[in-house]
Amino acid sequence: MFNIPKESAVPFGCVTPAPVGEQPMMITGNWREFRPVIDNEKCNLCLNCSVFCPDACWQMNEAEDEMVWNAKYCKGCLICVNECSHDALTKAYELDFPDGVVRLEKPF
Amino acid sequence: MAHVHEITIWTRGVVKDKEGRDVANGIALAADRTGKFTQAFDNYVDLPDRVNVPLRKYARISDQEIEMRYEYENATPEVVVLVDATIVKGMNVLRGMVKDGVLVVNTKKTPEEILEFVPNKHLLKAVACVDADGICGTSTVDFSGTEGGVDTVGLGAGLAAPILGAVAKATKLVSVEDLAAVVKNKNALFRGHEATVVKLVS
Amino acid sequence: MAKEKTLSGCAASALAVKMAKVDVICSYPIRPYTATMMELSKMVADGELDAEFVHGEGEHAQLSVCYGASAAGARTFTGSSGVGVTYAFETYSPISGGRLPVQMMIADRALDPPGDFGSEHTDVMSARDQGWLMGWAETPQEAFDNHLINYRIGEDKRVMLPQFVCQDGYFVSHIPNKVIVPEQAQVDEFLPPYSPGAHVLDPQKPMSHGPQIRPDQGAIMDLQRAQAFLDLPKVVREAVADFNRIFGRNYSPFVEEYMTEDADLAFFIQGGHTLTARHAVKHLREQGLKVGLVKLRFLRPFPTQEVGEILSKFKGVGVIETNTSYGGSMRGGSLLGEVRASLYDAAKRPVTTSFMAGLGGDVIPLKDFYWAAKILAQAVKAGKVEKTVYWAGLEEQAA
Repeated sequence: MFNIPKESAVPFGCVTPAPVGEQPMMITGNWREFRPVIDNEKCNLCLNCSVFCPDACWQMNEAEDEMVWNAKYCKGCLICVNECSHDALTKAYELDFPDGVVRLEKPF
Repeated sequence: MAHVHEITIWTRGVVKDKEGRDVANGIALAADRTGKFTQAFDNYVDLPDRVNVPLRKYARISDQEIEMRYEYENATPEVVVLVDATIVKGMNVLRGMVKDGVLVVNTKKTPEEILEFVPNKHLLKAVACVDADGICGTSTVDFSGTEGGVDTVGLGAGLAAPILGAVAKATKLVSVEDLAAVVKNKNALFRGHEATVVKLVS
Repeated sequence: MAKEKTLSGCAASALAVKMAKVDVICSYPIRPYTATMMELSKMVADGELDAEFVHGEGEHAQLSVCYGASAAGARTFTGSSGVGVTYAFETYSPISGGRLPVQMMIADRALDPPGDFGSEHTDVMSARDQGWLMGWAETPQEAFDNHLINYRIGEDKRVMLPQFVCQDGYFVSHIPNKVIVPEQAQVDEFLPPYSPGAHVLDPQKPMSHGPQIRPDQGAIMDLQRAQAFLDLPKVVREAVADFNRIFGRNYSPFVEEYMTEDADLAFFIQGGHTLTARHAVKHLREQGLKVGLVKLRFLRPFPTQEVGEILSKFKGVGVIETNTSYGGSMRGGSLLGEVRASLYDAAKRPVTTSFMAGLGGDVIPLKDFYWAAKILAQAVKAGKVEKTVYWAGLEEQAA
């Protein structure tokens, strides 16, 4: 009886599955003007960056014994740079890097 | 109905929200002075109260009354202004552009370096770059004009002034003289106009 | 000298309320009406407006504060949107029954679920039975004017009723447009200071508000208010006529007609989308279709007689519904039922149907009005409507 455009469809009762692991409907990597850059030589894996990051964008790669940065979601708040215990993190201008492109079609 | 020129301004929440709005309002007020029909408004769904979130402000100019005043977005922008250059990596800023558009960017980088991040550059006729931060220092942060409120601080005291100068140089939509009549920091406006580098995209 | 300013609906409302020299304001933030309180708080802080500005802890508190203040003789103002309007629901009847002319600005917003800031009239329309005046503005100018007109009507001794002064969220509340701002002297001439009735709270004359009554008194209590609504249209006409005279405007009190002189078809509409509808009517006329537009300015009191008289001139009427009334007699919005009731006794009745459009804050594009006009024209030709509700943009067959 009705023709519902696919891009506007709404699930029953407007109840949607909750995101697990990451929220693909709110990608925030495009919020940053500056990014944290890690010097692995100086890093002692204290995990301050991981603990303090409001968006869980620093995770430890146990196999390689190094911290891994999430370019997709990091908002560039630079709290990790502030909290790093061994000066392993510095801030750098986002446009100086060709990688870490998020380019969304729509904000959400 | 006459053609409606659509200008989309991308800016960042809270810290550059007012500057983005000043660019939109500046363009509309300057075009008003030449008898055009104009609109300037914030994108409603962008939720601007988040620091650094990419946001849009819009300006529209037409020779006749704009009939679709209520459209939430500029579907086919002719001019896209980036108050913060890093947004070029975060959004498809030229989305909806038909062809021969102009991209105006506040940046120290060159037009060529900016175009590295624009895969759909074939939509552009020109890119203009101006170092508004270098000319003006910090941006004005003020919430009085948000949500349709009345701006109490005045237009174009910060970054918006040199960026408006760049818009005047890179497009034919507004003149720097009309902008000077509505902008507070006229010095920055003219310096921005002077310093803007316009590169034609072939 | 009256000045022309470019103001959003929110800013226009705040300015009107300031010029009305309101005494007590109670705020609580909710999008999209919030900017009105932002503006008023600035005016109070800067000493431009001498009013008590109270932060409520919720919309129910907002209305409760205004209830108390109005009962003590203050000219009061509050506002809300969407679920805020429904959160305060309990207070609407006591304020109306207590005959307190509180004014509430509504920048309407779709109700949950889910979160949607877009405009929809349902939020405050769900309170249409509570005994308040209610009407929509099409533009920031009309919003400004309506605030003054509503204070004048609501505070009239023959009325003493609260008022919902409504405008579409975002479309009217956020998009700036030209507003002619009058001089304070004009406002003072039109709107005398609030002079509350004998039922006002006064330490010299202690009063009880809303004591217990018996069932045999219930109908008489209700009749009091019902009678006020019978007397109301006369007061509205006087107030609007006076307004037009002092401010140089040209408002019809209840219903405005546009291009209806020789029209076969008409849209019946209220609120911000009327602006787009006017353009649609103009273009349809250019194509040879005799369409007009009838705009409703007051939903309560519903101008039954005017609506019946005006709409019976047409062969087909399409009601634009930017509201929902689930399970209602028309299975769509609330306006079609009211329109049909107004037409029931008319010697000649048009075919009528409704178009659900603009729900959730969606834009109503010009082509939706063209589509609606086509359906109406077909219905007139057939002598009847196929159905009473069409959902714009979602019907299976494009007409």
